[in-house]
Amino acid sequence: MSISLLIGVGALTSIGVYLITARTLSRIILGFVLLGHAAVLALLTAGGPSGAAPIAGGDAALANPLPQALALTAIVISFGLTLFMLALAVRQQTLTGDDLVEDDLEDQRIAQLAAENEHEADR
Amino acid sequence: MLWTLLIAHLAGIVVAGVAGRRGIRAGLAAAAIAPAATATWAISRLVGDADPATAELVWVAGLDLGVSFRLDSMALMMTTLVSGIGTLVFVYAIGYFSAGADGGVRFPTALLAFSTSMLGLVWADSVWTLFIFWEFTSITSFLLVGHKNTSADVLRAARRALMITGAGGLVLLAGLLLVAEAAGTTTISELGPITGSSASVAAILVMVGAATKSAQFPFHVWLPGAMAAPTPVSAYLHSATMVKAGVLLVAVLSPAMIDVDAWLWTGLAFGVTSMLWGAIGALRQRDAKLILAWGTVSQLGLLVTVLSLGSGKALFAGISLLFAHALFKAALFLVVGEVDIRTGTRDIAELGGLARSMPIAAAVAALAGLSMAGVPPLLGFMAKEAAIEAGLGLSGPERWIALGAITGGSVLTVAYTLRFWIGTFGPGPATEVAPRRLAMTAPAVLLALAGVLGYVFAGQVTDIVGPAAVEANEKASVYELIRWPGLKTAFVISIGIVAAGTALGWFLSARPVGAAPRTVGADAADETIEATLRFAPDITARVQHGSLPVYLATMIIAVIAATMPFFASAEIDHLVLWDRPLQAGLVAVTIVAAATGAVVGSRLGATLTLGAVGIGVSGIFVVHGAPDLALTQLVVETVIVVGFVLGFGSLAREFPRSSESWQTIRLVLSVISGIGIMSALAFAGSRPTGTAPIEALTDEAVDVGGGKNVVNVILTDIRALDTLGEVVVLATVAVGILALARVRADEVEAAS
Repeated sequence: MSISLLIGVGALTSIGVYLITARTLSRIILGFVLLGHAAVLALLTAGGPSGAAPIAGGDAALANPLPQALALTAIVISFGLTLFMLALAVRQQTLTGDDLVEDDLEDQRIAQLAAENEHEADR
Repeated sequence: MLWTLLIAHLAGIVVAGVAGRRGIRAGLAAAAIAPAATATWAISRLVGDADPATAELVWVAGLDLGVSFRLDSMALMMTTLVSGIGTLVFVYAIGYFSAGADGGVRFPTALLAFSTSMLGLVWADSVWTLFIFWEFTSITSFLLVGHKNTSADVLRAARRALMITGAGGLVLLAGLLLVAEAAGTTTISELGPITGSSASVAAILVMVGAATKSAQFPFHVWLPGAMAAPTPVSAYLHSATMVKAGVLLVAVLSPAMIDVDAWLWTGLAFGVTSMLWGAIGALRQRDAKLILAWGTVSQLGLLVTVLSLGSGKALFAGISLLFAHALFKAALFLVVGEVDIRTGTRDIAELGGLARSMPIAAAVAALAGLSMAGVPPLLGFMAKEAAIEAGLGLSGPERWIALGAITGGSVLTVAYTLRFWIGTFGPGPATEVAPRRLAMTAPAVLLALAGVLGYVFAGQVTDIVGPAAVEANEKASVYELIRWPGLKTAFVISIGIVAAGTALGWFLSARPVGAAPRTVGADAADETIEATLRFAPDITARVQHGSLPVYLATMIIAVIAATMPFFASAEIDHLVLWDRPLQAGLVAVTIVAAATGAVVGSRLGATLTLGAVGIGVSGIFVVHGAPDLALTQLVVETVIVVGFVLGFGSLAREFPRSSESWQTIRLVLSVISGIGIMSALAFAGSRPTGTAPIEALTDEAVDVGGGKNVVNVILTDIRALDTLGEVVVLATVAVGILALARVRADEVEAAS
C-alpha cells in the first residue's frame, strides 16, 4: 500500500473537512469536491498496487479493475451533486445577495418556542 | 370474509360521511349498516359450528411482517359484542342527537372508524397487527371524547385519554416484542409458555399496557374525564368494548404467561386496587354517569384480577364476566343518556321519582343493575358465581387475596348500584320529563333483556363463552354456567355479598349527597402532559439548533469515532513509500493545490486551484493504471471549473471571514479526521481477506462481455442497471438545475 496515496487521501480529507464546515456555500462545495477526490483515491488505494491499464491481452500485471469501476460511479455522482449544489448557491445569491448558509428556519422557530417557555417560567 | 367485512366497514365510513352531510341522523343510519351485517354474520357463526376464519396480508415474509387476522371463538364472541352493541349504539345515537346537531359527518365516521379498529384488534393474530389496531382505537377514542370540541375541559380530557392510552400502547409494544422474542413467534395463536427474566419483564410491560387501556389504577384517571364524550360513545367505547381491550389482552396472552409469576402478581396488584378504588370512587360521585364510569373501573379491576389468575376455571369465569359486563354496563349507560336527554341533568341530588315517569328506563336500569350486582335470575349472577368458584379453587396466598378482593369489591358494587338506582329513579321530588324517544329506549331494553335471556339459556351462553375461554386455557372446557347452584360455599358468599351490599347501599343512599369530588391524580396527569410539552422544545432547540456547520461537525466526529477500531490492529509492514516515484510527485502537487484553494481569499483563485487539484488527481489515475478514470475526471473537472466561474462571477469576490473560535474547531476537526481516515485505511489494508479477482474479471470481460476494456465491461454489462441509474441521476440533476436557475421576479421580492 502506497504511503504517498495514503497521505494524499488524508490531506484531501483534512482540507475537505475544513472547507465544508465553513459558512459560505461556495466553500462548502469546494470542500465537497475535495472529499470526493479523497474517496475515489481511497478506493484505488484499497484495491491494490498500481499496474498496467486493465485492458485484456497484455503481458504486464494489470491494475485491479473493480475499484476503478466503483470509482467511476463515484466521480459521476459527485459531479452531479456538485453542480446541483452550485445551482443552489447561485440561486440563493440571486435571491438574497450572498451565499451564506443561514440557520434552518424551522429550527429557529423551535428555539423561539423554547425561549418563550423559559420566559414564562421566569414570570 | 374478514376482508369483505373490513372493506364493508371502510366503505361504510365513506358512505356515512356522505350521508352525514344531510344531518347526523342520516349519517348514523348509514354507519349502522356495516356493524349490523357483521353482527348478523357473527351470530350465524355462533349458532353454527365453524372453524376459525383467517385472513392474511404478507408484507415481509422473512420478518413475519404483515397483517394477519384469525377469528377464533374468543374473537367471534368479541365480534358479536363489538358489532352487536355497536349496531344498537348507532340506533340509540339517532335518538340521542337532535336532528340538527353539529358534527353530522365527524361523529358517525369517527364512531364507525372506532368500530372498525376494534374489530381489527379482536381479530389480530400477530403482535404487529394487534398493536396497530390497539393504537387506532386510542386515536378514534380521542376524536370521540373530544366531540364537543368547543370546551377546554373536554379537550383536556380527550388529550389525557389519548396520552395515557397512547403511552400505554408503546409500553405494550415493548412487552409484545419481548414476548415474541421469548416465544420465537409473532403469531398470537401459536404463542407457547415463556419463561426467564425477560418473560417477567415482558409480563409487567404487557400488563401495564393493558392497565392503561382498561383504566386500571393508577392509570384510571382518564376514564372519568372521558365521560365528557356523548353518552353513546361512553356506552360503546368506555364500558362495552375499548376498555375491554386490555382485559382481552390479558386473556389472550395468558397461555404464554402461565409460568410467569410476575404476570399473576402485577395483574392482581392492578386488578385488586382498581376494583376497590373504583368502587369507592363510584360511591362518592353524584353524577349518575360518573358513578357508572367509576363502576367500570371497578368491574374492569375484577376482570383483570380473575383473568390474571390464569387457571381454566378463572379464564372461564373471566370471559363470562366480560360477556355479562358488556351487556349490562352498556344498558346502564344507555339509560343514563336517556335520563340526561329527557330531564336535562344527571345529578342524583336533583333527580327523583323517575320510576313513575320513566318506567321502562327504570325497569331496564333495575334489570341491568341487578345483573351487575350479581343477583339471580340474571346473567351477571352466574358469572359472579363462577368468579367466586375460581377464587375458591386456588391455593396459596393468591386464594385469599383474590377471594377477599372479589368479595369486598362485590359488596361495594352492590352498594353503588343500589345508590345509583335509588338516586336516579327512587323517591324524591318528581323531575320534569320530556317525551320518550323510541330509538333510545329500544336498544337499552334489548340489552337488559339479554341479561335475562342469558340466564334462561345458560347452556347456550356457555357454548359462547366456554369455547372462547378454551382458546386461552384448554382446561376451561369442563366448566359451565350454573343457574341455581344450591347451598354451596360460593352461593353462601354471594348471599352475604348481596346482603351486606344492600345494607351499605341503603345506608349511603339515605345520607345527603355531598359535593362532587375531583378525580385524584387527574391534575397530576395533566401537569405531566403540560410539562412534557414545555420540555420538548427545550431539548429540541438544543439538539436541533439549525446550524449546518455544527451538524456537519457532529457527523464528522461520528466518522472519526468510527475509524477508532482500526487502530487496534496497527501494522505497517505492508506499506511502501510509493508504487512509482511519479505518484509521490503528483500527490504533492495535488495537496499543494488543494491547500492553496483552502486559504486563498478570492473565489476565482479557489476555483482555479480546484482545477489544478482535478488535473493532479487525473495524473495520479494515469500513473495508477486507470485511464478511464483519468479521462472522466478531466472532463468532469473542466465542466465543474466552467460552472464555478459562471456561478461565482456574480458572487462577491472575497470570502467572508469566520470567527476565531470556530476557526480553531475547524482546524482541529480537519486534522484529526484526515489522520483518522488515513490510518484506518492503512491499517485496514494490513490483512487482505483474499487476492483481487483480476484474472477472473479479465476473462469474464472477454468471454461474456465481449470487450477488452475490463472497467467498461463492468460498467456496461455487469452493472448495467446501476449505470442506467447513474444516467437517471444526471438527468434529474440537469432538470433540477434548470428549475433552480430560473428565478421569477416575485421570488426575488419575497426573499428580500
